[in-house]
Amino acid sequence: MSLGEALSMLDAEERVTGRINYTLNIEAPAMLAGKILRSPLPHARIVRIDPGRAQRLTGVGAVLTRADFGPHTGYSGRYGRIFRDQTVLALDKVRFVGDPVAAVAASDEDTALEALSLIDIEYEELPAVFDESEALQPAAPLVHDPRPEQQPIFSKMIEDLPGGTNLCSHFKLRRGDIELGFHQADFVFEDTFRSPAAQHVPLEPHVTVAVYGRQKLTLWTSTQMPHAIRAQMAELLNLPLARVRVIVETLGGGFGSKGSLRLEPITAFLALKAQRPVKIILSREEEFVTVCKHPATICVKTGVMKDGTLVARQVNAYFNTGAYSDIGPVVARNGGSAMSGPYRIPHVWIDSRAVWTNIVPAGALRGFGVPQAVWAYESQMDMIAERLGFDPLEFRQKNLLRDHDVFATGEELTDIHFHDLLEQAAASIGWSPEDVRWLNRDRTRAKDKTRRRGKGVAMVIKATITPSTSAAALKLNEDGSLNVLTSSVECGQGAKTVLAQIAADAMHLPVSRVSVSDPDTDLTPYDQQTSSSRTTYSMGGAIREAASDLKRQLLDCAAEHLEVSVTDLIIEDAKVIVRGTPRRSLTYGEITRLSNQGNLFGRGAFTTRGGLDLQTGQGIGSVHWHQGAIGCEVEVDIETGKITILRLTPCVFAGRVVNLRLCELQLEGCAIFGLGQALFEEMSYGEHGQLLNPNLSDYNVPSFADIPPKINASALEHAGSEELHGIGETLLPPVMAAIGNAVYNAVGVRLQELPLTAEKLLREIHRQHSTNDFPLSRRARE
Amino acid sequence: MRASRSDADHGGTSAEAPPSGDELKGNSMKQIVKLKVNGVEDEKAVQTHHTLLEVLRSEYKLFGAREGCGIGMCGACTVLLDGQPMSSCILLAVLAQGKEITTIEGLSDPGKLHPIQQAFIDHNAFQCSYCTPGFILSTKSLLAENPNPTGEQVRSYLAGNLCRCGSYYKIEEAVLDAALRLRDQKGNR
Repeated sequence: MSLGEALSMLDAEERVTGRINYTLNIEAPAMLAGKILRSPLPHARIVRIDPGRAQRLTGVGAVLTRADFGPHTGYSGRYGRIFRDQTVLALDKVRFVGDPVAAVAASDEDTALEALSLIDIEYEELPAVFDESEALQPAAPLVHDPRPEQQPIFSKMIEDLPGGTNLCSHFKLRRGDIELGFHQADFVFEDTFRSPAAQHVPLEPHVTVAVYGRQKLTLWTSTQMPHAIRAQMAELLNLPLARVRVIVETLGGGFGSKGSLRLEPITAFLALKAQRPVKIILSREEEFVTVCKHPATICVKTGVMKDGTLVARQVNAYFNTGAYSDIGPVVARNGGSAMSGPYRIPHVWIDSRAVWTNIVPAGALRGFGVPQAVWAYESQMDMIAERLGFDPLEFRQKNLLRDHDVFATGEELTDIHFHDLLEQAAASIGWSPEDVRWLNRDRTRAKDKTRRRGKGVAMVIKATITPSTSAAALKLNEDGSLNVLTSSVECGQGAKTVLAQIAADAMHLPVSRVSVSDPDTDLTPYDQQTSSSRTTYSMGGAIREAASDLKRQLLDCAAEHLEVSVTDLIIEDAKVIVRGTPRRSLTYGEITRLSNQGNLFGRGAFTTRGGLDLQTGQGIGSVHWHQGAIGCEVEVDIETGKITILRLTPCVFAGRVVNLRLCELQLEGCAIFGLGQALFEEMSYGEHGQLLNPNLSDYNVPSFADIPPKINASALEHAGSEELHGIGETLLPPVMAAIGNAVYNAVGVRLQELPLTAEKLLREIHRQHSTNDFPLSRRARE
Repeated sequence: MRASRSDADHGGTSAEAPPSGDELKGNSMKQIVKLKVNGVEDEKAVQTHHTLLEVLRSEYKLFGAREGCGIGMCGACTVLLDGQPMSSCILLAVLAQGKEITTIEGLSDPGKLHPIQQAFIDHNAFQCSYCTPGFILSTKSLLAENPNPTGEQVRSYLAGNLCRCGSYYKIEEAVLDAALRLRDQKGNR
């Protein structure tokens, strides 16, 4: 059976021969190369732009500036998924170092770059604000004034707020009676944690090719959201949806960066103005100023009883969404709604805010607000365990959610597996209470005087976007083979292979008879987006629906031709068979030909329902909850502060695994992605808001040199379940806290701000040495 | 505060008149170079400031080498130069003259797969696969130098190729498997 088979990707041969097509390879006749001029200042009014010299340069097809937008042109140039706070190019002012100000399309990249250098711009610098806490001070400069207009479709999800502040959004969750909870608690602990801005670094940069002709815009673009791009581009260009076509080739990684509009508006308007196809490829340096992970400051206050029962939690979270909100308010909401963690807490009060500042806009990044949240609450779980002298494993077990518990959102949970996941994670690192620093009274265990080992665990509960909609169509051909028409984007997660397996399984066909399309909004049905670990579940669900529709048609048509009742027919091995009379049968191909319809089409849609109340955060937060636990063992060199990861053991609840090989790749990928954010990934800003490390020399991502010898990933299945859980993100969020907890058990140093660099750790080791008896390296050598 | 400036990154201030386009055009020079790519030698007129990667992609339409970082840090643009892995994004095309240039497209005959490629398929040693040609070419060079590497040697040799999707464990398995296949092949000959 195709479901559960550990297949290699169906397009593997194209991938290893270098022939697979990325948007990077797309070329159109007479195509121009586009380049973008960016702001050197974090916040400034644009006094004057003179593109004259650039326009006169030989080879320049179009120069785009703010003069191309506004009432006189018919194009507002304003867009944004939640707030219309972004513009194709800066109109009145620039809001961060890197904000696009002008763009050029020219015969080649060299000419386009020359042209950029000939554009003269005069700025009037304005005071800027970079930190999310400072941005909310009354005297802080306003990034957006007046407050940008909110998109009506988000009015039920994100509360509109008054202007005159940098507060972009404010998610509230209210459950129980928080004052009563803290009053009841024997102990109350309050701790603050911080995560920095980090990069997605898909190795393929953002690329867009725009062709405008016969009043139709065609875009080849590296996006995870073809239909959302189509809708927003249609709005920007005043075109009906049918006249915007978005085609997506396989992506060279996305990790959330390739959602929302990125290069599409600039490329399309250049193509419109030049009346020639235009292609823009971002350089790595430009990637860094396009979108990032939200820096976040999160204060967690937790009330706990003497016996270790959690009773209350209050959270104040600030997500720095940078100059433009993108999907930031939903990131803050998603991170916020999960901050009670996988624990039973009767009284919960959460305020999670997105804040505008003058740094690089932040958006979706694998985990979607939950990595920042888990870093805070799972670090604090260990801190509380130590203060009260508990084994951190037992402390968690005592409070973990079980089936039929009510979550902080008020919804009753089912299919909950946290106890099993924690047990698995702990067992796979060989956990024992002896590994807990504060329970282990024999400190002489360290075998090596300068290198210390420690173990830690962390857990995660994460929503998948709810409500959401996917649609699929199945086209059955006259030879009985099947085309799956879907707008799910292949970004390396193996969507096309997994969806082929689901379709083959539902239609009783071998995978070799199934082909899955690339997204093309002219041809493939609607899908909300390829994100939120939703494709296997949602698009898989739509395909199963479409298969039911198609099988119904096959049965009806076969019944007519075999002159039997539908109830006498069964489907097996790509055939419709009369029950008990195997010789009386019709193949799919025969039925398709007999139908006289050319093709048979099955249609299916899969919609989930839910949502949270604006004032209380109560409702359905997720159609089902993604669950995970991870164990970690580290070795810390106390002479250098260097952390070596010895073991990482991501354990996920998968419902039913469709393809174990691809599932393992996702789990290992999550663990390694998290390892980078835990140990070294951080976008560093200078005092004027300029990014200091926008390249892969100064900003490191994990290589073979950074990873543990092995990652023991495991996927927990629910026997007998057909429910598929997405697993593409779940195990990233807990990696940072698991490593932090392991480091604490190794050396007794707790860092509350990521990343856990050697420098920071060493400083803390030295600081502790000056205040207690921590054996420092020099003494150790004596 | 009031500041007037052109974008510093792109040079030129309003005080000094920028050179006209034609003057700038005069600065870019083309040179005829003899390049031997995947066994075929021919002459190309290339801009002297263009990298081998730019020339492979724009002149030869060989799309297997890809830019990831532009500064020789990620390995996605790896090609073999006389059998040695090189970042083609930081090598000027004119400097590749007289060398045997091998790209992923030249690793095996059309329709056939090199044992390394087959091992990468069998272990699904990739996710988005943007980095895969670079890893495979680096592996080719590793196994030419060391036909029987340990896991540690594989990791150390391939530490200059980045896989952001984190397929490293499957890559290591594939490389060790490919080494075995190549040794078997040699033994059988």
